[in-house]
Amino acid sequence: MTPWLRRAFLLLAAVAVAFPYAWVVLASLKDRQALNDPASLGFSPTLDNWREIVDGGVLESALISVVVGTVTVAVALVAGTLGAYAISRYRTGGSATRFGILISQLMPPAVLVVPLFLIAFDLHLRDTVIVIVAAHLTFVLPVVTWFMIGFFDAVPRAYEEQAMVDGHSRFSAFRTVVLPQVLPGLGAAAIFAFVLSWNDLFFGLILAGGNTRTLPVAIASYNTFRGVELGAMSAAILVSVVPVLIASFYVQRRLVRGISAGGLKY
Amino acid sequence: MVPLGLLLGVIVAYPLGYSLWLSLTDRRIVGSKDATFVGLDQYAGLLDNAAYGVAMRNTIVFVVVAVTLELVLGLALAMALQRQRRARDLTRAFLLTPMFVTPIAVGLMFRFLLNEQLGAIPAILDNVGLDIDFFGPTLALPTIIAIDVWQWTPFMVLLLLAGLESLPRQPFEAARVDGASAWMTFRRVTLPLLKPAIGIAVLLRALDAFKVFEYVFATTRGGPGDATETIQYQIYRTGFQFFRIGEAAAMAFVLIAVVLVLATILYRRFLRPEASA
Repeated sequence: MTPWLRRAFLLLAAVAVAFPYAWVVLASLKDRQALNDPASLGFSPTLDNWREIVDGGVLESALISVVVGTVTVAVALVAGTLGAYAISRYRTGGSATRFGILISQLMPPAVLVVPLFLIAFDLHLRDTVIVIVAAHLTFVLPVVTWFMIGFFDAVPRAYEEQAMVDGHSRFSAFRTVVLPQVLPGLGAAAIFAFVLSWNDLFFGLILAGGNTRTLPVAIASYNTFRGVELGAMSAAILVSVVPVLIASFYVQRRLVRGISAGGLKY
Repeated sequence: MVPLGLLLGVIVAYPLGYSLWLSLTDRRIVGSKDATFVGLDQYAGLLDNAAYGVAMRNTIVFVVVAVTLELVLGLALAMALQRQRRARDLTRAFLLTPMFVTPIAVGLMFRFLLNEQLGAIPAILDNVGLDIDFFGPTLALPTIIAIDVWQWTPFMVLLLLAGLESLPRQPFEAARVDGASAWMTFRRVTLPLLKPAIGIAVLLRALDAFKVFEYVFATTRGGPGDATETIQYQIYRTGFQFFRIGEAAAMAFVLIAVVLVLATILYRRFLRPEASA
Protein backbone atom coordinates (compact mmCIF):
# COMPACT_ATOMS: atom_id res chain seq x y z
CA MET A 1 0.00 0.00 0.00
CA THR A 2 1.33 3.42 -0.87
CA PRO A 3 1.30 5.95 1.99
CA TRP A 4 -1.26 8.07 0.16
CA LEU A 5 -3.64 5.16 -0.33
CA ARG A 6 -3.16 4.10 3.26
CA ARG A 7 -4.07 7.52 4.60
CA ALA A 8 -7.13 7.73 2.37
CA PHE A 9 -8.23 4.32 3.62
CA LEU A 10 -7.83 5.29 7.27
CA LEU A 11 -9.62 8.59 6.66
CA LEU A 12 -12.53 6.77 5.04
CA ALA A 13 -12.72 4.43 8.03
CA ALA A 14 -12.66 7.38 10.43
CA VAL A 15 -15.54 9.03 8.56
CA ALA A 16 -17.53 5.79 8.64
CA VAL A 17 -17.02 5.62 12.40
CA ALA A 18 -17.74 9.30 13.04
CA PHE A 19 -20.86 9.69 10.92
CA PRO A 20 -23.35 7.84 13.17
CA TYR A 21 -21.99 9.60 16.28
CA ALA A 22 -22.35 13.01 14.66
CA TRP A 23 -25.86 12.24 13.50
CA VAL A 24 -27.02 11.18 16.97
CA VAL A 25 -25.55 14.29 18.59
CA LEU A 26 -27.40 16.45 16.05
CA ALA A 27 -30.65 14.49 16.47
CA SER A 28 -30.55 14.94 20.25
CA LEU A 29 -30.57 18.73 19.73
CA LYS A 30 -33.32 18.89 17.12
CA ASP A 31 -37.00 19.56 17.74
CA ARG A 32 -39.73 17.43 16.19
CA GLN A 33 -39.99 19.46 13.03
CA ALA A 34 -36.27 19.49 12.32
CA LEU A 35 -36.15 15.71 12.85
CA ASN A 36 -38.56 15.20 9.98
CA ASP A 37 -36.08 16.81 7.65
CA PRO A 38 -33.04 14.59 8.18
CA ALA A 39 -30.65 16.18 5.71
CA SER A 40 -30.97 19.72 7.07
CA LEU A 41 -28.20 21.21 9.15
CA GLY A 42 -29.78 24.65 9.59
CA PHE A 43 -31.95 24.23 12.69
CA SER A 44 -32.14 25.99 16.02
CA PRO A 45 -30.86 23.66 18.73
CA THR A 46 -33.11 22.81 21.67
CA LEU A 47 -32.56 21.04 24.99
CA ASP A 48 -36.14 19.71 25.15
CA ASN A 49 -35.02 16.15 24.41
CA TRP A 50 -32.54 16.24 27.26
CA ARG A 51 -35.20 17.54 29.67
CA GLU A 52 -37.51 14.77 28.51
CA ILE A 53 -35.10 11.95 29.27
CA VAL A 54 -34.37 13.38 32.73
CA ASP A 55 -38.11 13.32 33.44
CA GLY A 56 -38.42 9.90 31.79
CA GLY A 57 -36.21 8.13 34.33
CA VAL A 58 -33.16 7.57 32.15
CA LEU A 59 -30.88 8.81 34.94
CA GLU A 60 -32.40 6.30 37.39
CA SER A 61 -31.75 3.57 34.83
CA ALA A 62 -28.18 4.78 34.43
CA LEU A 63 -27.78 4.57 38.21
CA ILE A 64 -29.10 0.99 38.23
CA SER A 65 -26.64 0.11 35.46
CA VAL A 66 -23.81 1.65 37.51
CA VAL A 67 -24.79 -0.40 40.59
CA VAL A 68 -25.10 -3.62 38.59
CA GLY A 69 -21.79 -3.01 36.83
CA THR A 70 -19.92 -2.14 40.03
CA VAL A 71 -21.13 -5.17 41.99
CA THR A 72 -20.52 -7.48 39.01
CA VAL A 73 -16.99 -6.20 38.52
CA ALA A 74 -16.18 -6.40 42.25
CA VAL A 75 -17.25 -10.04 42.49
CA ALA A 76 -15.59 -10.94 39.19
CA LEU A 77 -12.28 -9.31 40.19
CA VAL A 78 -12.01 -11.18 43.50
CA ALA A 79 -12.98 -14.59 42.13
CA GLY A 80 -11.38 -14.11 38.72
CA THR A 81 -8.03 -12.83 39.99
CA LEU A 82 -7.60 -15.67 42.50
CA GLY A 83 -8.69 -18.22 39.92
CA ALA A 84 -6.44 -16.80 37.23
CA TYR A 85 -3.46 -16.85 39.59
CA ALA A 86 -4.09 -20.50 40.39
CA ILE A 87 -4.45 -21.39 36.70
CA SER A 88 -1.33 -19.44 35.79
CA ARG A 89 0.89 -20.88 38.56
CA TYR A 90 -0.38 -24.40 39.17
CA ARG A 91 -1.50 -25.03 35.58
CA THR A 92 -4.82 -26.27 36.94
CA GLY A 93 -6.41 -28.47 34.33
CA GLY A 94 -3.77 -27.67 31.73
CA SER A 95 -4.57 -25.85 28.51
CA ALA A 96 -8.11 -27.25 28.57
CA THR A 97 -8.98 -24.87 31.43
CA ARG A 98 -7.65 -21.89 29.53
CA PHE A 99 -9.65 -22.75 26.46
CA GLY A 100 -12.72 -23.97 28.33
CA ILE A 101 -13.01 -20.73 30.22
CA LEU A 102 -13.39 -18.93 26.90
CA ILE A 103 -16.06 -21.32 25.69
CA SER A 104 -18.14 -20.69 28.79
CA GLN A 105 -18.06 -16.99 28.03
CA LEU A 106 -19.21 -17.58 24.49
CA MET A 107 -22.12 -19.80 25.37
CA PRO A 108 -25.30 -18.34 23.89
CA PRO A 109 -27.06 -16.30 26.60
CA ALA A 110 -30.34 -17.87 25.51
CA VAL A 111 -29.21 -21.16 27.05
CA LEU A 112 -28.71 -19.60 30.45
CA VAL A 113 -31.51 -17.09 30.50
CA VAL A 114 -34.33 -19.65 30.62
CA PRO A 115 -33.20 -21.41 33.81
CA LEU A 116 -32.04 -18.14 35.38
CA PHE A 117 -35.50 -16.75 34.76
CA LEU A 118 -37.21 -19.73 36.41
CA ILE A 119 -34.77 -19.82 39.35
CA ALA A 120 -35.25 -16.09 39.91
CA PHE A 121 -39.00 -16.63 39.77
CA ASP A 122 -38.87 -19.39 42.41
CA LEU A 123 -36.58 -17.38 44.71
CA HIS A 124 -38.68 -14.21 44.28
CA LEU A 125 -35.65 -12.42 42.84
CA ARG A 126 -37.22 -11.49 39.53
CA ASP A 127 -36.81 -7.83 38.61
CA THR A 128 -34.03 -7.27 41.17
CA VAL A 129 -30.42 -6.15 40.85
CA ILE A 130 -29.25 -9.49 42.29
CA VAL A 131 -30.46 -11.62 39.40
CA ILE A 132 -29.00 -9.23 36.82
CA VAL A 133 -25.64 -9.34 38.60
CA ALA A 134 -25.73 -13.15 38.61
CA ALA A 135 -26.58 -13.18 34.90
CA HIS A 136 -23.84 -10.69 34.03
CA LEU A 137 -21.28 -12.71 35.98
CA THR A 138 -21.86 -15.61 33.59
CA PHE A 139 -20.07 -13.71 30.83
CA VAL A 140 -17.97 -11.18 32.78
CA LEU A 141 -16.20 -13.64 35.10
CA PRO A 142 -14.67 -15.81 32.34
CA VAL A 143 -13.40 -12.74 30.47
CA VAL A 144 -11.78 -11.26 33.58
CA THR A 145 -10.19 -14.60 34.44
CA TRP A 146 -8.88 -15.03 30.90
CA PHE A 147 -7.27 -11.60 30.82
CA MET A 148 -5.72 -12.00 34.25
CA ILE A 149 -4.16 -15.37 33.32
CA GLY A 150 -2.21 -13.53 30.62
CA PHE A 151 -1.05 -10.84 33.02
CA PHE A 152 -0.01 -13.34 35.71
CA ASP A 153 1.92 -15.38 33.14
CA ALA A 154 4.00 -12.27 32.43
CA VAL A 155 5.12 -11.96 36.07
CA PRO A 156 8.31 -14.01 36.66
CA ARG A 157 7.93 -16.77 39.26
CA ALA A 158 11.22 -15.72 40.84
CA TYR A 159 9.43 -12.71 42.39
CA GLU A 160 7.17 -14.65 44.71
CA GLU A 161 9.72 -17.41 45.25
CA GLN A 162 12.08 -14.79 46.63
CA ALA A 163 9.28 -13.39 48.78
CA MET A 164 8.52 -16.84 50.17
CA VAL A 165 12.20 -17.38 50.96
CA ASP A 166 11.95 -14.08 52.86
CA GLY A 167 9.22 -15.58 55.05
CA HIS A 168 6.01 -14.59 53.29
CA SER A 169 3.24 -17.16 53.01
CA ARG A 170 2.04 -18.01 49.50
CA PHE A 171 -1.01 -15.75 49.88
CA SER A 172 0.93 -12.89 51.39
CA ALA A 173 3.52 -13.18 48.60
CA PHE A 174 0.67 -13.04 46.11
CA ARG A 175 -0.84 -9.99 47.80
CA THR A 176 2.30 -7.93 48.40
CA VAL A 177 4.51 -8.93 45.47
CA VAL A 178 2.51 -10.31 42.54
CA LEU A 179 -0.67 -8.26 42.76
CA PRO A 180 1.05 -4.85 42.45
CA GLN A 181 2.74 -6.13 39.27
CA VAL A 182 -0.58 -6.83 37.56
CA LEU A 183 -2.42 -3.76 38.86
CA PRO A 184 -2.50 -1.97 35.47
CA GLY A 185 -3.90 -5.12 33.88
CA LEU A 186 -6.40 -5.43 36.68
CA GLY A 187 -7.57 -1.88 36.03
CA ALA A 188 -8.03 -2.54 32.32
CA ALA A 189 -9.85 -5.81 33.00
CA ALA A 190 -12.15 -4.04 35.48
CA ILE A 191 -13.09 -1.32 33.00
CA PHE A 192 -13.58 -3.80 30.17
CA ALA A 193 -15.76 -5.96 32.42
CA PHE A 194 -17.79 -2.92 33.45
CA VAL A 195 -18.40 -2.04 29.80
CA LEU A 196 -19.61 -5.59 29.09
CA SER A 197 -22.10 -5.37 31.94
CA TRP A 198 -23.14 -1.81 31.03
CA ASN A 199 -23.90 -2.84 27.44
CA ASP A 200 -26.02 -5.93 28.09
CA LEU A 201 -29.61 -5.79 26.87
CA PHE A 202 -30.66 -9.44 26.65
CA PHE A 203 -30.48 -10.44 30.33
CA GLY A 204 -31.72 -7.07 31.58
CA LEU A 205 -34.72 -7.22 29.27
CA ILE A 206 -35.82 -10.71 30.25
CA LEU A 207 -34.83 -10.99 33.91
CA ALA A 208 -35.81 -7.49 35.01
CA GLY A 209 -37.14 -4.61 32.98
CA GLY A 210 -40.07 -3.69 35.27
CA ASN A 211 -38.93 -1.57 38.20
CA THR A 212 -35.28 -2.41 37.65
CA ARG A 213 -34.66 -1.12 34.16
CA THR A 214 -31.01 -1.03 33.19
CA LEU A 215 -29.92 1.67 30.78
CA PRO A 216 -30.00 -0.43 27.58
CA VAL A 217 -33.54 -1.56 28.47
CA ALA A 218 -34.55 2.08 29.00
CA ILE A 219 -33.07 3.03 25.62
CA ALA A 220 -34.87 0.17 23.91
CA SER A 221 -38.15 1.32 25.45
CA TYR A 222 -38.02 4.56 23.44
CA ASN A 223 -38.28 2.38 20.39
CA THR A 224 -41.30 0.28 21.33
CA PHE A 225 -43.95 1.38 23.75
CA ARG A 226 -44.36 5.08 23.10
CA GLY A 227 -43.89 5.02 19.36
CA VAL A 228 -40.71 6.58 18.10
CA GLU A 229 -39.30 9.45 20.09
CA LEU A 230 -36.27 10.03 18.00
CA GLY A 231 -34.86 13.08 19.77
CA ALA A 232 -35.24 11.72 23.30
CA MET A 233 -33.89 8.36 22.20
CA SER A 234 -30.80 10.01 20.71
CA ALA A 235 -30.18 11.83 24.00
CA ALA A 236 -30.59 8.56 25.92
CA ILE A 237 -28.16 6.83 23.55
CA LEU A 238 -25.59 9.54 24.28
CA VAL A 239 -26.02 9.04 28.05
CA SER A 240 -25.03 5.43 27.47
CA VAL A 241 -22.31 5.96 24.87
CA VAL A 242 -20.28 8.91 26.16
CA PRO A 243 -18.98 7.32 29.41
CA VAL A 244 -18.09 4.16 27.53
CA LEU A 245 -16.15 6.07 24.88
CA ILE A 246 -14.16 7.88 27.57
CA ALA A 247 -13.41 4.56 29.27
CA SER A 248 -12.40 2.99 25.96
CA PHE A 249 -9.69 5.57 25.35
CA TYR A 250 -8.16 4.68 28.69
CA VAL A 251 -8.51 0.93 28.40
CA GLN A 252 -7.62 0.00 24.82
CA ARG A 253 -3.86 0.57 24.85
CA ARG A 254 -3.61 -1.76 27.82
CA LEU A 255 -5.91 -4.22 26.07
CA VAL A 256 -3.58 -4.41 23.07
CA ARG A 257 -0.64 -4.98 25.40
CA GLY A 258 -2.54 -7.50 27.52
CA ILE A 259 -3.65 -9.48 24.50
CA SER A 260 -0.20 -9.63 22.94
CA ALA A 261 1.41 -10.37 26.34
CA GLY A 262 -0.61 -13.39 27.25
CA GLY A 263 -4.06 -13.66 25.83
CA LEU A 264 -2.99 -15.07 22.51
CA LYS A 265 -0.86 -17.81 24.00
CA TYR A 266 -2.01 -21.21 25.15
CA MET B 1 -9.40 -21.53 42.03
CA VAL B 2 -12.04 -22.66 44.52
CA PRO B 3 -14.09 -19.43 44.55
CA LEU B 4 -13.97 -19.28 40.75
CA GLY B 5 -15.04 -22.90 40.38
CA LEU B 6 -17.79 -22.49 42.95
CA LEU B 7 -19.16 -19.34 41.35
CA LEU B 8 -19.04 -20.72 37.83
CA GLY B 9 -20.70 -23.86 39.19
CA VAL B 10 -23.58 -21.93 40.72
CA ILE B 11 -24.20 -19.39 37.97
CA VAL B 12 -23.27 -21.41 34.87
CA ALA B 13 -23.27 -25.15 35.47
CA TYR B 14 -26.46 -25.36 37.53
CA PRO B 15 -28.57 -23.31 35.09
CA LEU B 16 -27.07 -25.31 32.25
CA GLY B 17 -28.18 -28.60 33.80
CA TYR B 18 -31.58 -27.14 34.64
CA SER B 19 -31.88 -25.96 31.03
CA LEU B 20 -31.07 -29.42 29.70
CA TRP B 21 -33.79 -30.91 31.92
CA LEU B 22 -36.29 -28.27 30.72
CA SER B 23 -35.58 -29.13 27.10
CA LEU B 24 -36.88 -32.64 27.85
CA THR B 25 -40.20 -31.36 29.25
CA ASP B 26 -43.18 -29.45 27.90
CA ARG B 27 -42.77 -26.67 30.47
CA ARG B 28 -44.62 -23.41 29.78
CA ILE B 29 -44.67 -20.28 31.93
CA VAL B 30 -48.39 -19.66 31.76
CA GLY B 31 -50.98 -22.23 32.83
CA SER B 32 -50.97 -24.15 36.08
CA LYS B 33 -50.18 -27.52 34.52
CA ASP B 34 -46.97 -29.03 35.88
CA ALA B 35 -44.27 -29.85 33.39
CA THR B 36 -44.28 -33.44 32.19
CA PHE B 37 -41.32 -35.35 30.87
CA VAL B 38 -41.60 -35.71 27.11
CA GLY B 39 -38.17 -37.13 26.29
CA LEU B 40 -36.79 -35.93 22.98
CA ASP B 41 -40.15 -34.72 21.63
CA GLN B 42 -39.06 -31.06 21.69
CA TYR B 43 -36.00 -31.90 19.61
CA ALA B 44 -38.01 -34.02 17.20
CA GLY B 45 -40.46 -31.13 16.89
CA LEU B 46 -37.65 -28.81 15.83
CA LEU B 47 -36.91 -31.05 12.86
CA ASP B 48 -40.40 -30.38 11.48
CA ASN B 49 -40.30 -26.71 12.46
CA ALA B 50 -39.68 -24.82 9.22
CA ALA B 51 -39.27 -21.47 11.02
CA TYR B 52 -36.42 -22.93 13.08
CA GLY B 53 -34.67 -24.06 9.92
CA VAL B 54 -35.02 -20.59 8.40
CA ALA B 55 -33.65 -18.96 11.54
CA MET B 56 -30.71 -21.36 11.61
CA ARG B 57 -29.96 -20.63 7.95
CA ASN B 58 -30.20 -16.86 8.49
CA THR B 59 -27.92 -17.08 11.50
CA ILE B 60 -25.29 -19.10 9.64
CA VAL B 61 -25.37 -16.73 6.63
CA PHE B 62 -25.09 -13.81 9.04
CA VAL B 63 -22.11 -15.29 10.91
CA VAL B 64 -20.18 -16.41 7.82
CA VAL B 65 -20.63 -13.21 5.79
CA ALA B 66 -20.18 -10.79 8.70
CA VAL B 67 -17.08 -12.48 10.12
CA THR B 68 -15.47 -12.80 6.66
CA LEU B 69 -16.01 -9.10 5.92
CA GLU B 70 -14.75 -8.16 9.37
CA LEU B 71 -11.62 -10.29 8.95
CA VAL B 72 -10.73 -8.79 5.56
CA LEU B 73 -11.47 -5.19 6.57
CA GLY B 74 -9.93 -5.68 10.02
CA LEU B 75 -6.69 -7.10 8.61
CA ALA B 76 -6.40 -4.24 6.10
CA LEU B 77 -7.04 -1.66 8.83
CA ALA B 78 -4.65 -3.31 11.28
CA MET B 79 -1.85 -3.31 8.70
CA ALA B 80 -2.56 0.31 7.76
CA LEU B 81 -2.60 1.31 11.44
CA GLN B 82 0.64 -0.54 12.14
CA ARG B 83 2.47 1.65 9.60
CA GLN B 84 0.70 4.83 10.64
CA ARG B 85 3.06 7.35 12.24
CA ARG B 86 1.23 10.66 12.54
CA ALA B 87 -1.52 10.94 15.21
CA ARG B 88 -1.01 7.23 15.81
CA ASP B 89 -2.62 6.77 19.23
CA LEU B 90 -5.54 9.04 18.48
CA THR B 91 -6.32 7.29 15.18
CA ARG B 92 -6.22 3.89 16.86
CA ALA B 93 -8.30 4.97 19.83
CA PHE B 94 -10.94 6.54 17.64
CA LEU B 95 -11.23 3.70 15.13
CA LEU B 96 -11.62 1.18 17.95
CA THR B 97 -14.52 2.98 19.66
CA PRO B 98 -17.48 1.20 17.99
CA MET B 99 -16.81 -2.10 19.78
CA PHE B 100 -17.41 -0.42 23.13
CA VAL B 101 -20.79 1.09 22.26
CA THR B 102 -23.97 -0.50 23.64
CA PRO B 103 -25.19 -2.79 20.82
CA ILE B 104 -28.82 -1.77 21.24
CA ALA B 105 -27.73 1.87 20.78
CA VAL B 106 -25.83 0.88 17.63
CA GLY B 107 -28.90 -0.92 16.30
CA LEU B 108 -31.17 2.05 16.97
CA MET B 109 -28.67 4.54 15.57
CA PHE B 110 -28.61 2.66 12.28
CA ARG B 111 -32.31 2.02 12.28
CA PHE B 112 -32.94 5.75 12.08
CA LEU B 113 -29.88 6.58 10.04
CA LEU B 114 -31.26 4.23 7.38
CA ASN B 115 -35.00 4.85 7.88
CA GLU B 116 -36.79 5.70 4.65
CA GLN B 117 -38.54 8.84 5.92
CA LEU B 118 -36.33 10.05 8.76
CA GLY B 119 -32.90 8.75 7.89
CA ALA B 120 -29.96 10.82 6.76
CA ILE B 121 -28.50 8.23 4.38
CA PRO B 122 -31.67 7.65 2.28
CA ALA B 123 -32.12 11.44 2.21
CA ILE B 124 -28.62 11.87 0.80
CA LEU B 125 -29.09 9.02 -1.68
CA ASP B 126 -32.42 10.53 -2.70
CA ASN B 127 -30.60 13.67 -3.83
CA VAL B 128 -28.61 11.65 -6.34
CA GLY B 129 -31.71 9.80 -7.49
CA LEU B 130 -31.27 6.53 -5.61
CA ASP B 131 -34.19 4.99 -3.75
CA ILE B 132 -33.09 2.11 -1.56
CA ASP B 133 -35.16 0.40 1.13
CA PHE B 134 -32.50 -0.84 3.52
CA PHE B 135 -34.98 -2.88 5.55
CA GLY B 136 -36.88 -4.38 2.60
CA PRO B 137 -37.05 -8.14 2.00
CA THR B 138 -33.81 -8.43 0.01
CA LEU B 139 -31.62 -5.94 1.86
CA ALA B 140 -32.72 -6.45 5.48
CA LEU B 141 -30.23 -9.24 6.26
CA PRO B 142 -27.32 -7.49 4.46
CA THR B 143 -28.17 -4.32 6.42
CA ILE B 144 -27.99 -6.20 9.73
CA ILE B 145 -24.68 -7.67 8.59
CA ALA B 146 -23.41 -4.16 7.76
CA ILE B 147 -24.36 -2.97 11.26
CA ASP B 148 -22.41 -5.87 12.75
CA VAL B 149 -19.43 -5.02 10.54
CA TRP B 150 -19.52 -1.39 11.71
CA GLN B 151 -19.50 -2.39 15.35
CA TRP B 152 -17.18 -5.42 15.36
CA THR B 153 -14.50 -4.81 12.72
CA PRO B 154 -12.66 -2.82 15.45
CA PHE B 155 -12.53 -5.98 17.56
CA MET B 156 -10.72 -7.75 14.71
CA VAL B 157 -8.40 -4.75 14.38
CA LEU B 158 -7.63 -4.90 18.11
CA LEU B 159 -6.67 -8.58 18.09
CA LEU B 160 -4.85 -8.52 14.74
CA LEU B 161 -2.92 -5.36 15.63
CA ALA B 162 -1.80 -7.00 18.87
CA GLY B 163 -0.78 -10.03 16.79
CA LEU B 164 1.09 -7.95 14.19
CA GLU B 165 3.01 -6.03 16.83
CA SER B 166 4.25 -9.18 18.53
CA LEU B 167 5.62 -10.74 15.31
CA PRO B 168 9.41 -11.18 15.07
CA ARG B 169 11.24 -8.83 12.68
CA GLN B 170 13.79 -11.19 11.14
CA PRO B 171 11.47 -12.96 8.63
CA PHE B 172 10.41 -9.60 7.22
CA GLU B 173 14.00 -8.44 6.86
CA ALA B 174 14.91 -11.72 5.19
CA ALA B 175 12.02 -11.28 2.75
CA ARG B 176 13.22 -7.76 1.96
CA VAL B 177 16.80 -8.92 1.40
CA ASP B 178 15.49 -11.60 -0.96
CA GLY B 179 13.63 -8.91 -2.89
CA ALA B 180 10.14 -10.27 -2.26
CA SER B 181 7.28 -8.07 -3.46
CA ALA B 182 4.86 -6.58 -0.92
CA TRP B 183 2.20 -9.07 -1.97
CA MET B 184 4.57 -12.05 -1.67
CA THR B 185 5.71 -10.88 1.76
CA PHE B 186 2.09 -10.63 2.84
CA ARG B 187 1.16 -14.07 1.46
CA ARG B 188 4.24 -16.01 2.52
CA VAL B 189 5.40 -14.23 5.69
CA THR B 190 2.69 -12.13 7.34
CA LEU B 191 -0.25 -14.49 6.90
CA PRO B 192 1.44 -17.70 8.13
CA LEU B 193 2.96 -15.94 11.13
CA LEU B 194 -0.35 -14.31 11.95
CA LYS B 195 -2.31 -17.56 11.74
CA PRO B 196 -2.76 -18.08 15.50
CA ALA B 197 -3.95 -14.48 15.99
CA ILE B 198 -6.35 -14.79 13.03
CA GLY B 199 -7.59 -18.08 14.44
CA ILE B 200 -8.43 -16.71 17.85
CA ALA B 201 -9.95 -13.53 16.38
CA VAL B 202 -12.21 -15.46 14.01
CA LEU B 203 -13.16 -17.93 16.74
CA LEU B 204 -14.08 -15.25 19.28
CA ARG B 205 -15.94 -13.17 16.74
CA ALA B 206 -17.84 -16.09 15.17
CA LEU B 207 -19.00 -17.46 18.52
CA ASP B 208 -20.09 -13.98 19.53
CA ALA B 209 -21.88 -13.39 16.21
CA PHE B 210 -24.07 -16.44 16.86
CA LYS B 211 -25.52 -14.44 19.74
CA VAL B 212 -26.82 -11.66 17.47
CA PHE B 213 -29.92 -10.25 19.08
CA GLU B 214 -29.79 -6.49 19.65
CA TYR B 215 -29.65 -5.42 16.00
CA VAL B 216 -32.62 -7.60 15.08
CA PHE B 217 -34.53 -6.44 18.16
CA ALA B 218 -33.78 -2.80 17.35
CA THR B 219 -34.38 -2.79 13.61
CA THR B 220 -36.48 -5.47 11.98
CA ARG B 221 -37.87 -7.75 14.72
CA GLY B 222 -37.16 -10.68 12.43
CA GLY B 223 -38.97 -9.27 9.42
CA PRO B 224 -39.92 -8.54 6.75
CA GLY B 225 -41.50 -12.00 6.83
CA ASP B 226 -38.76 -14.17 8.27
CA ALA B 227 -35.88 -12.53 6.37
CA THR B 228 -33.91 -11.59 9.49
CA GLU B 229 -35.21 -14.12 12.00
CA THR B 230 -32.11 -15.33 13.88
CA ILE B 231 -31.85 -18.15 16.41
CA GLN B 232 -31.23 -15.95 19.41
CA TYR B 233 -34.20 -13.76 18.55
CA GLN B 234 -36.42 -16.77 17.88
CA ILE B 235 -35.51 -18.27 21.27
CA TYR B 236 -36.44 -14.97 22.89
CA ARG B 237 -39.83 -14.97 21.19
CA THR B 238 -40.59 -18.64 21.76
CA GLY B 239 -39.63 -18.54 25.43
CA PHE B 240 -40.66 -15.08 26.54
CA GLN B 241 -43.43 -13.98 24.21
CA PHE B 242 -45.09 -17.33 23.57
CA PHE B 243 -43.90 -18.76 26.93
CA ARG B 244 -42.94 -22.16 25.52
CA ILE B 245 -39.93 -22.58 27.80
CA GLY B 246 -39.24 -26.24 27.08
CA GLU B 247 -39.15 -25.66 23.34
CA ALA B 248 -36.92 -22.59 23.76
CA ALA B 249 -34.47 -24.64 25.85
CA ALA B 250 -34.32 -27.33 23.16
CA MET B 251 -33.61 -24.65 20.52
CA ALA B 252 -30.81 -23.31 22.67
CA PHE B 253 -29.19 -26.71 23.04
CA VAL B 254 -29.18 -27.34 19.31
CA LEU B 255 -27.44 -23.97 19.00
CA ILE B 256 -24.84 -25.03 21.60
CA ALA B 257 -24.16 -28.18 19.60
CA VAL B 258 -23.60 -26.14 16.42
CA VAL B 259 -21.35 -23.68 18.25
CA LEU B 260 -19.30 -26.46 19.86
CA VAL B 261 -18.75 -28.19 16.53
CA LEU B 262 -17.63 -24.89 14.99
CA ALA B 263 -15.34 -24.11 17.92
CA THR B 264 -13.73 -27.54 17.74
CA ILE B 265 -13.10 -27.24 14.00
CA LEU B 266 -11.56 -23.77 14.36
CA TYR B 267 -9.52 -24.85 17.38
CA ARG B 268 -8.10 -27.88 15.54
CA ARG B 269 -7.46 -25.90 12.39
CA PHE B 270 -5.77 -22.83 13.86
CA LEU B 271 -5.03 -23.03 17.53
CA ARG B 272 -3.73 -26.40 18.57
CA PRO B 273 -0.06 -25.92 19.49
CA GLU B 274 1.06 -28.47 16.85
CA ALA B 275 -1.00 -26.72 14.17
CA SER B 276 0.54 -23.30 14.77
CA ALA B 277 4.13 -24.41 15.38
